[in-house]
Amino acid sequence: MTESMIALLSFVLTLMVFSYLLGDLPLIGNLYRLAVYIFIGMSAAFTLIVGTESVILPYMQDVLDPETTWTSLGSRADTYIFLAALLVALLLLLKPVRSLTWLTNSVFAVVIVVSASVAVVGALTGTLFPLLHSTAALPDDILTDFDAMVDTLLIFLGTMTALYYFHYQTRLDSEGAPAQSRMGSGLRHVGKVFLVIALGAIYASTILSSLTILTERISFLFQFGA
Amino acid sequence: MNFGQRLGIALSAFVAFAVGAIAVTSLLLGDNPAIFNNQPGSERAAELLALPGDVLLRLVVIVISLSVVIGIANLLYVHVGRVARGKVYSGALLASFGVAIFWHLTRQGDPSLLEAVQLPIESSLAALLFVSLVAGASRVMQKRADVWGLLFVAVVVLVLLASVPLAELAPLRAWRDWLMRVPVSAGARAFLLGIAMATVVTGQRVLLGQDRSYRG
Repeated sequence: MTESMIALLSFVLTLMVFSYLLGDLPLIGNLYRLAVYIFIGMSAAFTLIVGTESVILPYMQDVLDPETTWTSLGSRADTYIFLAALLVALLLLLKPVRSLTWLTNSVFAVVIVVSASVAVVGALTGTLFPLLHSTAALPDDILTDFDAMVDTLLIFLGTMTALYYFHYQTRLDSEGAPAQSRMGSGLRHVGKVFLVIALGAIYASTILSSLTILTERISFLFQFGA
Repeated sequence: MNFGQRLGIALSAFVAFAVGAIAVTSLLLGDNPAIFNNQPGSERAAELLALPGDVLLRLVVIVISLSVVIGIANLLYVHVGRVARGKVYSGALLASFGVAIFWHLTRQGDPSLLEAVQLPIESSLAALLFVSLVAGASRVMQKRADVWGLLFVAVVVLVLLASVPLAELAPLRAWRDWLMRVPVSAGARAFLLGIAMATVVTGQRVLLGQDRSYRG
């Protein structure tokens, strides 16, 4: 495809997507939907291509090649793993068959449970432990640098109170109505300040990112028009 | 519920619990000779401990990639049915899918279709997000004119103004930098810790069989 053809297609598709801003007008309103459907079709095709060429085909090549092995069990084990995966995928297709529900549910359970295990281990070792460690860690110059000490304390206080904000336990007061302690309520308010500031900054950063992309698109439209 | 159905539920719960216990133990403790106090043969023991997790992970990766293929086949099947009912947009979807596959098969390694169609639509949709976000921010003060709404909008305005490359706004940049370093960092840590804890809690519910979404 030539450069000018790419530019022309980009120009037309960009205008089709931007037609959304004009609202649901006859004909023009359809252009946005058309662009979105084209996008979905092409995304599905690219997902299929990437999924096949990055996972399924390399795995098949590995299975066929006796020199390579995924585990310490040897090349033959790879073949069994691959065949088992094919069998599992085939069994997942049989889910609508009611008499085989016990089997398909068990197979589905393996997929769900292994995914949950990966999520749990990933969350523990990748996020929870490192973040807790870095939040509680003191910088080396904390005794000499007053600003660093204040910042570290503020980060610790902010993290803990922001986490406490999502704590909804209440006690019953003398009249039997659920009520939160004054201290708990105060901590939740402090936590909310940190959460609102974080959300505001994330929101502004997202606005800046989308503004950068919008500027690029508009400059492309003007360049193509010129 | 008859005996066979109960047995089926018990079987799937048992499989889930057993596989979950093996997978978590293997993924968490595998490939770590230190847990065996680096005794002779600890390397081999750590390798063996990592083996079940590795096998299960490979199995699930292949199954998920095959599921994606099945999902795309289902998408095409649904839209073929819609085309038969005269839906033009589904025709566009099928045509774009066909063109992309044909392009890939006949001109492997040529990214021009990606540059001409996929990238412009993706970036234009991301650019449209700007309009939605600005409209949303303006509505915050209409719908929620309290101290929290004011604080939110003040932070948004401060961060946006500090990004403008004007010398007059330089003091705002110092404020913005401190804001990002301390309160935003604390809030973001809390969010990430909350997400991680929620993931662990939800995951352990699945692993212990309290949440049996796989029953369908």
